[in-house]
Amino acid sequence: MESQSKYIYLQPTPVRIWHWLNAFGIVTLIISGAQIRFPEYITICGSYRSAILLHNTAGIVVALSFSFWFFYYKWVSGALTNIYVPKMDELSNGLIKQVFYYFWGYFKGASAPFHATPDSKFNPMQKSAYLAIMFVIVPLVSLTGIMLLNIGPLRQILLMIGGLQILVILHFLLACVLGAFLLTHVYLATLGSTPLAYFKPMWTGWEKVEHHHDDEHHATDLHEISAHSQVSKN
Amino acid sequence: MYSKNQLIRQTLTISAVAVAFGFMPQLVKADPGFSFGDSVAKNEDCLKCHNNKKIVGDNRLINGKVFQHTTHAQIGCKTCHNSVPDNHPGSGGKVTMTTTCADCHKDISTEYSISKHSISVPNCSGCHNPHTAHKAGEVYALELNSTCTNCHNQMKISATHAQWLPQTDLHLGSISCVTCHTKAENFVMSVYIARRNSNISNNTPLIADFEYLKNKTNSDDIHKLVDKNLDNYISIEELKAFNRNPSNKDLYLKAILTPSKTTHAFQTSDKSLNCTLCHASGPSAAQVSKLVLPKPDGTFRQMDIEKGDDIASLNVIPDFYMMGSSRNSILNILGVAILAGGLVMPVGHGFFRFLTRKNRKKE
Repeated sequence: MESQSKYIYLQPTPVRIWHWLNAFGIVTLIISGAQIRFPEYITICGSYRSAILLHNTAGIVVALSFSFWFFYYKWVSGALTNIYVPKMDELSNGLIKQVFYYFWGYFKGASAPFHATPDSKFNPMQKSAYLAIMFVIVPLVSLTGIMLLNIGPLRQILLMIGGLQILVILHFLLACVLGAFLLTHVYLATLGSTPLAYFKPMWTGWEKVEHHHDDEHHATDLHEISAHSQVSKN
Repeated sequence: MYSKNQLIRQTLTISAVAVAFGFMPQLVKADPGFSFGDSVAKNEDCLKCHNNKKIVGDNRLINGKVFQHTTHAQIGCKTCHNSVPDNHPGSGGKVTMTTTCADCHKDISTEYSISKHSISVPNCSGCHNPHTAHKAGEVYALELNSTCTNCHNQMKISATHAQWLPQTDLHLGSISCVTCHTKAENFVMSVYIARRNSNISNNTPLIADFEYLKNKTNSDDIHKLVDKNLDNYISIEELKAFNRNPSNKDLYLKAILTPSKTTHAFQTSDKSLNCTLCHASGPSAAQVSKLVLPKPDGTFRQMDIEKGDDIASLNVIPDFYMMGSSRNSILNILGVAILAGGLVMPVGHGFFRFLTRKNRKKE
């Protein structure tokens, strides 16, 4: 079996900007949010007022960033459904394969059953997780946050849905789910060939792939270029 | 059968009434002719004219209906207007007054004299009309603010607070001015029964008046709307039951933060400017709560609400939430459990990953 290192352009610039803006925003939201809820124990953002202002600003940035993401994938790249919505086969077959790989094959040293390409970036497990996170959790946590910023004008509507406390509880629990996802997300990102292998493409855009000539899952995308030409470009 | 708490409360109530009546003779000393017993008749003499705009005009007009429910009405007109000449209201029969507010309210007067307000408004009557003055607890908490807004422009108040206070309108709509602008160290959560507005764009709270609640309960005992067991004490369960009751869909509980004791120093405590006075002191900040119910005369009365952290729990006061201190401990545990779920992969998978690291070494 002959193998050669190749690079594929996996993460276009707008996606990378969005990702790191989102990452920075969500970490800020988690830290400031923790201080807002537990001000006796957490004072990392300084005064309570600073924590509130930081949280509100980061919240608006993340909500705008989410809109930017949706706009880009839906109308600019048009790949939203293809990238984020798992197909039936992926759910019935790919998901089991991927789970089996993570919890068995990986430990045995088997190669990953899925290789990312620009048009199919996520394995079935990632697709399912991101579908829940990006289409349910993030929109809901943003929506409840925006509502919390406008309690006065929404008072009567809030009373109809059970009051302000319902909104706060939803926002808090959804944020915890997002926090739990973040821990898993960062850990899974270290499962590449090296711990930083999956972090690099999100910074540079290019992912290094071991190209096996006998591998049917190899990337054949037009974006693919050889390691040598990538070096000469730089 | 009375519980121990009920017996203690009733004993305290009886004692308070006894002390109040014991205090009355001292007031009588000021003018033996104006004891509580005959004050109504004496006031009526004055109000015959002073309740009639056509006779006395605007400046000397007293609203008898409002006045009769004040403590000042109980001590009688002549206690303050202590020299009514015989020829009053004839020409030259001008009523003089040597009694001052400080004669009775000495502590308040001393306290006020050190405030900046005393320079620009030296007389009590600059803010308070003694003929309409009620105790703080007898007035709707945000109505207290009207005393301030007589001089302080409301737009300006909003604008200056907005320079530093996040959610300004929300704060100003849930806290009376004196909650922060006195040296009060403790607060009371005053819970009112408000009416839901069918127009969702109208967010001005509409506090249910006595007549509305009387029609709803078909009784003068409007407190039974919440106080189901009629023990003059509101339990958390009774508040929850009020919220759950479908026949109360037109109503909701609105909480306003008021000081436990109003002072006249009007010094803004540094603690008030630091959000953590309310937002970080834990649920204990809102442990003292009162249900404030309207009375037929337009004033309000207070009923004790069960103390404890449960006031912050779901469905007790749906319209009220104080970030940082209204948090619910069960939800905190649930939140930690969710976050711990996020550690399953890093810790569990990471552990086996470490043990099997040799299997992934490149040939």
